[in-house]
Amino acid sequence: MTGDNGLMTALRAPFTTLALRQAVFCVAGVVSAVAILAVPAVVPAAGALILWATGAMSQQPAPAVAPVFLVLFPLTIALLVVLAAPLGRAMGAAHRHLAARLLDAHVDPPPARRSKWVADGPGWRAIGYGLLKVPLAIPEGYGAFCYVFGVANLSYPVWWPLFRNHPPGTTLGPVWALTPFGTIGTRTFAGTFGIAAAGLAMLLVAPWLMRAGIAADLAAMRRLLGPRRLAERVRELQVSRAQAIDDAAAMMRRLERDLHDGAQIRLATLAMNLGMAAEKLGADGPPPDLAQARELVALAHRGAKDALADLRDLVRGIHPPVLDNGLGDALATLATSSAIPVAVHVELPGRPAPAIETIAYFCAAELLANAAKHSRAGRIGLSVVRSGDRLTLTVEDDGAGGANPDGPGLSGLARRIAVVDGRMRVHSPAGGPTRVEIELPTYV
Amino acid sequence: MRVVIAEDAAMMREGLVRLLTDRGFEVCAAVADADALRSAVAEAVPDVAVIDIRMPPTHTDEGLRAAIELRRDHPGMGVLVFSQYVETRYATRLLADRPAGVGYLLKDRVADVADFVDALTRVASGGTALDPEVVGHLMRAGPDTAGLASLTPREREVLALMAEGRSNAGIAAALVITPGVVEKHVANIFAKLGLPSSDNDNRRVLAVLRHVSG
Repeated sequence: MTGDNGLMTALRAPFTTLALRQAVFCVAGVVSAVAILAVPAVVPAAGALILWATGAMSQQPAPAVAPVFLVLFPLTIALLVVLAAPLGRAMGAAHRHLAARLLDAHVDPPPARRSKWVADGPGWRAIGYGLLKVPLAIPEGYGAFCYVFGVANLSYPVWWPLFRNHPPGTTLGPVWALTPFGTIGTRTFAGTFGIAAAGLAMLLVAPWLMRAGIAADLAAMRRLLGPRRLAERVRELQVSRAQAIDDAAAMMRRLERDLHDGAQIRLATLAMNLGMAAEKLGADGPPPDLAQARELVALAHRGAKDALADLRDLVRGIHPPVLDNGLGDALATLATSSAIPVAVHVELPGRPAPAIETIAYFCAAELLANAAKHSRAGRIGLSVVRSGDRLTLTVEDDGAGGANPDGPGLSGLARRIAVVDGRMRVHSPAGGPTRVEIELPTYV
Repeated sequence: MRVVIAEDAAMMREGLVRLLTDRGFEVCAAVADADALRSAVAEAVPDVAVIDIRMPPTHTDEGLRAAIELRRDHPGMGVLVFSQYVETRYATRLLADRPAGVGYLLKDRVADVADFVDALTRVASGGTALDPEVVGHLMRAGPDTAGLASLTPREREVLALMAEGRSNAGIAAALVITPGVVEKHVANIFAKLGLPSSDNDNRRVLAVLRHVSG
């Protein structure tokens, strides 16, 4: 039974949509391999173009050739080195996207780049993948070739009568068909069945060739386009752990400062005013100075209310109690206290981990505060959407734009969310609008 | 009595001005940072300065550093440092060169107006005012715990009040006993700890402080 099943599977393999999608992936692979091979040709091509455009080519002898290449060559190399990491990342992203769309093979993207310069591990690893893509594309291309031309060859008997209906006696050249082992030709209808047989063989072999190429390709993708290698991951975790510790310490310091300069001083002043009032009232008998005592008690009363308000703000800053009802309620409450109208849209089936809710809440609070302070916006959109095990918090406004992702506010935010492997994207051209997207995992 | 106040929290500063003015002090200046304090003291030459430890710009110990400096430059002026919590380390730094005309109190103490005013007057006239918290820390962490252990609980109370800088009369009032009984306790304490006895309040406090803080 299993033998029959295996045979059926093998026979059916070329005619599944998966085979078709694999073929598209393989063709795309060949195209990108060719494109990658073409990159080194950019140098001479650009040189030739400049020479041609300046007319130096037509001069005899061409005096400008050597200097142009002397300048152009190192310049292009430098440009390639500088652009390598971002280009590599873009190419990697395109390949991950292709694999996800066509093969349903999901490779996690690497973490966002930290340095602006050449040092970018994932970018360079993506370049490594690009170079590896050239040999990887050979079996893929071979498989795709067998698939496409297998179908074509198989169809020869079908279209033969349509085109070879010339009057008898007409001398015709042979009809050629491509196979992996060269071309075969035939002058007879019977011969087309030979071609069809070759096509069938190619078609049956094609899925396995493609599969072999794709399996190697996906393995390379996971190693080179995926998240960082263990050592890099460890380094990243060390950095984010250090940041988490720093942030916690900074938070405690801020708390202490807030208490020291806020509630504590208010309470000390309140105690002082009550002490003075007590003196004005005297220990017993008629109060020596009732008017002043009244005034001091009123002052103390006001001080107590201020201290309460101070503590309330502080407590909300530590952990807003409404967050216990879920992120939706908390964000709605937050939106009502914004000076600029905020449209809140929360789409959260199930609740994320409490720590994630807290981070998302404080990110939203900071982004709203930023918008209120800097954007001069007329309205703000705040949305939280969950897809799979990631949630995306988006804050956009119709303000002046020009938000700097490297400024202290946003970079601080980025550091805080990096602790839970979150990511931030800032789109804020001068003149606006501003859109900040924060992606967080739903669990820690 | 002329006073200069340095306190960065406006609310507290105004409260202090009001309290001290009400109690008959002349507040020459009320400033918010150490630099302003230095120039105010140089200008007004007060009898005593009330200085918050934490002030701008760093909000760490600029008040304390200014206090130590002012004590060096104006030996006749009393310095009362106050803060929201007491650090034994700060107290020993403050007392280090010359534990006279100096005070270190928690801000909470202003609630007991009479006590606070009493402490300030003591400091202004060359006495000492140490917060009970500081004295407690010093007595717990001091070098002669064995000697202190030989005291009766009552004697330890009297010792603590002496270390705070109070006179016999003040101790008698605080413990609700007669000055004669206080004198007897004091004599016992000095004998047990092997301190040279003295009738002068100040010298007595110095001896006690040296003993408890090393």
